[in-house]
Amino acid sequence: MRLSRISFVFRRVLKSFRELLWTHILTSGTMAMTLFIFGGFLLIQQNLHGLLKGWGSQIQIFAYLENRLTAAEVEPLVNRLRGYPEVESVRFVSQGEAWENFKKSLGSQSGVLEGLSADILPASLEIALKAAYRNHDSLAGVAQRLRTEKDISEVEYPEEWMARFSLLVLGIQWAKWILGGFLFMATLLIVGNTVKLAILARREEIEIMQLVGAPAGLIKTPFVIEGMIQGLLGASLSLLFLWLLFLFLSSQLPFTLGVLTDRAQLRFLEPESLALLLFLGWAMGAVGSLLSLRRFLQRW
Amino acid sequence: MIHLFRVSKIYAPNYPALVDIHLEIEKGEFVFLSGPSGAGKTTLLKLLFRGEEATEGQIIVNGRNVTRLNGRGVARLRQEIGLVFQEFRLLPTMTVLDNVALAAEVVGTPVRESRKKAFNLLRELGLKDRHDAKPPALSGGEQQRVAIARALVNDPILVLADEPTGNLDAEMADETMRLFARIHDRGTTIVIATHDAGLLKRFSYRAVFLQRGRLLGDSKFAGEAAT
Ligand SMILES: Nc1ncnc2c1ncn2[C@@H]1O[C@H](COP(=O)(O)OP(=O)(O)OP(=O)(O)O)[C@@H](O)[C@H]1O
Ligand SMILES: [Mg+2]
Repeated sequence: MRLSRISFVFRRVLKSFRELLWTHILTSGTMAMTLFIFGGFLLIQQNLHGLLKGWGSQIQIFAYLENRLTAAEVEPLVNRLRGYPEVESVRFVSQGEAWENFKKSLGSQSGVLEGLSADILPASLEIALKAAYRNHDSLAGVAQRLRTEKDISEVEYPEEWMARFSLLVLGIQWAKWILGGFLFMATLLIVGNTVKLAILARREEIEIMQLVGAPAGLIKTPFVIEGMIQGLLGASLSLLFLWLLFLFLSSQLPFTLGVLTDRAQLRFLEPESLALLLFLGWAMGAVGSLLSLRRFLQRW
Repeated sequence: MIHLFRVSKIYAPNYPALVDIHLEIEKGEFVFLSGPSGAGKTTLLKLLFRGEEATEGQIIVNGRNVTRLNGRGVARLRQEIGLVFQEFRLLPTMTVLDNVALAAEVVGTPVRESRKKAFNLLRELGLKDRHDAKPPALSGGEQQRVAIARALVNDPILVLADEPTGNLDAEMADETMRLFARIHDRGTTIVIATHDAGLLKRFSYRAVFLQRGRLLGDSKFAGEAAT
């Protein structure tokens, strides 16, 4: 495109924003709403995912050992378990250590244990899995194999809880696209409508331009660029609101829910998600304009 | 310059707007398209700049086969043609100068050059003092001259005007015709559609007569005078 064309397109876009300011603001606002909702889901999903990962490192399988086992017999068992491909680490907790831990957890009330012998609690193995296997299926699989070990009397792991939490993350992942999809369609219509208004407001001008031989590209480009600018504005606006929401929630959540141990566990959107939102805004604007142009320009 | 071979235009079935038109206009000619209301004058002009598509026949304008042009070809054809409408069709929210300059800009002339060209033309047409006004503030005759300035700003080799004097009083009409005569003197081909028989009498250019979509006479060949 020649410089004179670029400057022409640029001036027309400016003029349109000046003359149809409120239409443009409303459309950008609508786009911002859609992207805000979509981005909100993205934010929740990302943080739950982060939490899941964080908690995952604390997720362990407890394998309780037969009481008759001697330290020498435990050694080969531990080594064998370390050979499992899923297993990251295995820690042996002796009967004595278990007893100490138990006493500690009772704190001031540990007096009730007076007179009991230390060997009523079984020795156990605390088995942590590698990050890639910290999901419900792998946990269940490993637990199943542990049960077949003759020296292990019982196996425990946070079963239900894991399954539900994974399901929640999955649900949010899907809801984001389904609800987002509907919102995007609606927004596309609204953008298309704005462009329609912009075209109708300029109908005479466009006709004159066509009659004096303006190339079609020169007539269409300003509208497409307007759409893109609206989209980027809307996306930026939604990011601003998401950021405010994030600040607000991260100051509130830990107290109301008590699931969070550390505020730093909360994260704002990753750079890729920020880019995705900006891209979606940009694309919605461009596509909305193009669809509308196709419908309304060819009639004359 | 303009060749029409057996051209027909049918908007609605059984009611053709143009039937089997055969017409040749040479470079540098000045031609009136005349005939009563509904004769098909406007339709014929529209066919020449592809404002409408011919239903049948072949049309050549400036060596371009108008019936076979794509979008880009239509734009290029129109860049060589200056159009003047009866209703002027000026943009009411733009200044006179911007109205004229816009036409130059959209075909790729840089802004400053476009505005300079527009200003010079307006001065030539006696509108120097009105270049900053908006069209609604102008008289009919002034608006018509602005419309003519816009048609001329891209140095067309062909000017098509539809009832350019329709909204003007007799004096203004003659003034406008003399303006067209001056443009014609520079070698521009001019085709003017009009149902004003008086105009044909006062300006003795070639006249082509249409009636109910048929070409009934051509002063160039038969010497048929205006009726
Ligand atoms: N867009 C259209 N759709 C249907 N019919 C049309 C259309 N334009 C023109 N016509 C018909 O075609 C015929 C020729 O119309 P046209 O406008 O070419 O006449 P004209 O000679 O310019 O008349 P006038 O002197 O009143 O301007 C008329 O009968 C008109 O009703
Ligand atoms: Mg007409």
